[in-house]
Amino acid sequence: MRSNRVGWLLLAPTIAILGIFGIVPFLYVLYVALHQWNPFGANPYMVYNGANNFRRLVFDNEFLTSIAFTLKFAFFAVLSEVILGYFLAQLFMREFPGRGLFRTIHTLPLIVAPIVVGSVWRLMMTPSIGIIPYLLKSWFGYDLNIGRDATMAFALTVIMDIWHWTPLVTLTLLAALVSLPKEPFEQAQIDGANRWQIFWHVTLPMIRPAILATVFIRLMDALRTVDEVWMLTGGGPGAATRYLGLHIWKIVFPKTDYGYGSATSVIVLYLTLVMCWLLYVALVARRGQKRAS
Amino acid sequence: MEHLVDLDAVDDEANTIVASPQRTGFLPIVTNWFDRVFVGIYLFVALELFWMRFLEQSIPLSVCHVLAIALGVLIVWRG
Repeated sequence: MRSNRVGWLLLAPTIAILGIFGIVPFLYVLYVALHQWNPFGANPYMVYNGANNFRRLVFDNEFLTSIAFTLKFAFFAVLSEVILGYFLAQLFMREFPGRGLFRTIHTLPLIVAPIVVGSVWRLMMTPSIGIIPYLLKSWFGYDLNIGRDATMAFALTVIMDIWHWTPLVTLTLLAALVSLPKEPFEQAQIDGANRWQIFWHVTLPMIRPAILATVFIRLMDALRTVDEVWMLTGGGPGAATRYLGLHIWKIVFPKTDYGYGSATSVIVLYLTLVMCWLLYVALVARRGQKRAS
Repeated sequence: MEHLVDLDAVDDEANTIVASPQRTGFLPIVTNWFDRVFVGIYLFVALELFWMRFLEQSIPLSVCHVLAIALGVLIVWRG
């Protein structure tokens, strides 16, 4: 009983911080989502309107389109980052000259602020002054203009995200790979397993928790990406890169429609949690059940 | 005076404290009560949004409230 009290006492600061910075703002957003509130509109006061914001949301084609674009973005970005991150982690496991230097350089994008990443990529991609359109034009005769080409704008946001966040995946998977015991690998080699079998039956199951944690973190990040994309494409051309975070930003800041923006945020949180939970069920819970039965 | 901790006793105690009773209902995974409440709330929201989008013009939303709560209770009770 006494140890319980000490446990709660030690947990108290964390719970207090979580409550103040997590639960209370969420409840406030939920409260605002049930109101019509535009402080700069004709009526600047909050007016309760029940579920009308959510009702408006399910008929909002821009929102539904941005969900589709965001899911596509998150799928391509996270999948590419995990695959590329794994290969880079495997590369860093080997000894080669300049490994330390290469590892440091590879980690540098992580320390750059997203807004800076977006502006640098914007500078590199701007048709008249950017190096990439210039090189593509002179080498391949390809005219890159992300202000006109929706597919290319989408692809570039994905590539930018991969460039920025693959090092995080690499570091996580590298830490997981380094901490693996050698015995199962030696055992598998003695048993005559080939490289693919060792990867599939030994390495992958052992680093699964690390992969899952990384995928969760990256998925949540990808679903709420704003600043990089805002700097690179501004959500355009048209609505081709208007992802959910950017969509909410446009509702809340330029339009100052706080009630509707809050409702959108709540639904985005809902979607994120559902996706993470489904992923958890698919990869962990069902497997645990199989093992238990 | 130093306190010696009987590690075996601590382990035994830890083994007797099960985090929460788990069971298998009609949901395709092993769940505890928190999982079922979680699934219930998520299905509640999904059903409400679906109803608003496709059915509210012909059937009032209060019908959805009743159905969604009943589904939530069923999931928590039998899921």
